Amino acid sequence: MSRQVSSSLPAANSTKAPLISNTLHINMGPQHPSTHGVLRLELELDGEVVVSCKPVIGYLHTGIEKTMEARNWMHAVPCTDRIDYLNPLGNNLAFALSVEALFACQIPERAQVGRVLLAELTRINSHLVWVGTGAMDLGALTIFFYCMREREGILDLFEELTGQRMMTSFIRPGGLADDMSPEWLTRCKLFVDSMPGYIDEYEALLSKNPIFLERMSGIGILRAGDAIALGVSGPLLRAAGIAHDVRKVHPYCGYENYTFDVPTSQTADCLGRYHVRIAEMRESVKICQQALRIMPSGPVRTSNRKVMPPPRSEFQHSMEALIHHFKLYTEGQRPPIGEAYVAVESPRGELGFYVVSDGSSKPVRIHERGPSFANLQAIELMCKGGLLADLVAVIASIDPIMGEVDR
Amino acid sequence: MSFEPTDSAAAKAGNPSNPQRLPTALQADLAAAFPQLERGETRDGTTWLRVAMPQLIDLATWVKARGFVRFLDCTVVDEPSRADRFELNYLLYSMAEHCWLRIKTRSLGEAPSMTSLFAAADWYEREVFDLFGVCFVGHPNLRRILLPDDFEGPAPLRRDVPIGSEPVDFTVTRELYGT
Repeated sequence: MSRQVSSSLPAANSTKAPLISNTLHINMGPQHPSTHGVLRLELELDGEVVVSCKPVIGYLHTGIEKTMEARNWMHAVPCTDRIDYLNPLGNNLAFALSVEALFACQIPERAQVGRVLLAELTRINSHLVWVGTGAMDLGALTIFFYCMREREGILDLFEELTGQRMMTSFIRPGGLADDMSPEWLTRCKLFVDSMPGYIDEYEALLSKNPIFLERMSGIGILRAGDAIALGVSGPLLRAAGIAHDVRKVHPYCGYENYTFDVPTSQTADCLGRYHVRIAEMRESVKICQQALRIMPSGPVRTSNRKVMPPPRSEFQHSMEALIHHFKLYTEGQRPPIGEAYVAVESPRGELGFYVVSDGSSKPVRIHERGPSFANLQAIELMCKGGLLADLVAVIASIDPIMGEVDR
Repeated sequence: MSFEPTDSAAAKAGNPSNPQRLPTALQADLAAAFPQLERGETRDGTTWLRVAMPQLIDLATWVKARGFVRFLDCTVVDEPSRADRFELNYLLYSMAEHCWLRIKTRSLGEAPSMTSLFAAADWYEREVFDLFGVCFVGHPNLRRILLPDDFEGPAPLRRDVPIGSEPVDFTVTRELYGT
């Protein structure tokens, strides 16, 4: 019956396709709940088999790069965490590192360790949402509630420290916005130490679940060669057997001082990506524990007053501190002429801001190289020849954040 | 004007935790193969090469053969005061040497497509076409990607285009509340 219907419908978005065809053209999204946002896929189906899949993006395009360029360098920070709403602190960090490369300023030790701690908490947060929603797409509803429970714990920690649950804007060029209190660090330690037990719970629900294993294995294959050619990064690349992690290869914020592994999988399928992400959560917990153990005391802001304002305590006795504060908040920072791109490993892969300064307080160009954009480009290859029902698992395994794809 | 620092010390200063240097042998080969090339380092230490548009594909093919197979990014830095205002920025990565390479070229509004060399260039070139209005000759599917298909007006990310806004229709609200 569907064949009859399809033959009378014109092929989507193409005037050259013959009027009578044996394939069915359907739109999946942009309001489909399992497309993780406003992703639209133009599918050509032969029965249940996906013949071709054309992603249509841009439904969440907000021109955020233009917005950042129209404001000054300081105003760009809150824009960065709105790009990838599951990795706000990681995006803050990537932007801060690029701007700091322009200034060539030194960051105090405590801020470096704090940044690592926050970035890894954000990674756990993002992977929790991924495990929860990804399994939910396949009908495993229970795991979602378990993951949201722990995510709530992380968001509470963020709220207490930064005042915001998601749009944190806490890591800024020059250090951290505020110091971490001993009470917060204690609560953080409690949470981090309990996390491995929770991850065991997720694994008990999924890793030996025959339905889950059957649905995830052998689908959405992306081999190493294709992954490199398509600029794919993050868990997708590591699930293809390539142990490439920016934290290891190009360490930033002192990642070279922490002991952690880069989990990989040789299967190159959706199940491999699941195992990689679960293992990454365990590695992140290890990094958090090390960061909490070595957390040094001291300032969390750079002493370079052209980058970050002085602490309020200095206002009482220092005229220069007041002047610096006034200049920064009226004119903004003025990075020296130049350009920079410092990459970090976001939960989805290589993330970096390409920033260009002409020496004024307004940026010439801020471009975000987001991992989701490149990773999503590989979906056509990954789902071709697969079943329509597997497509939701493939989309979930890419973990695209449409805010980052469309910017 | 140019956005490169004039002092060489500033060009070398960068994020010390991210020392990105091209291998010395590659640098020598590069100088021999492309003597006209402008080169420098960004503030984070990544090497950049500026090439004239006709040699862009030659250079990309050359560096691809030497390990820079991973196409990571393509974007434009727009400078309206220059005739060749669009400076294309390609970011490549070598999985063997573990280093980034930035290739720059200046364009009047048209550039050869890299899609035949790098599969990943497809969406990136469409994005640049969409947001900056730069045409890529030889691209198999040069259509809008981020903006709506019926978008009218100049390419929005050009620097001489104001940020703009869309009027919000409050008719429904007015009727509802009688304002």
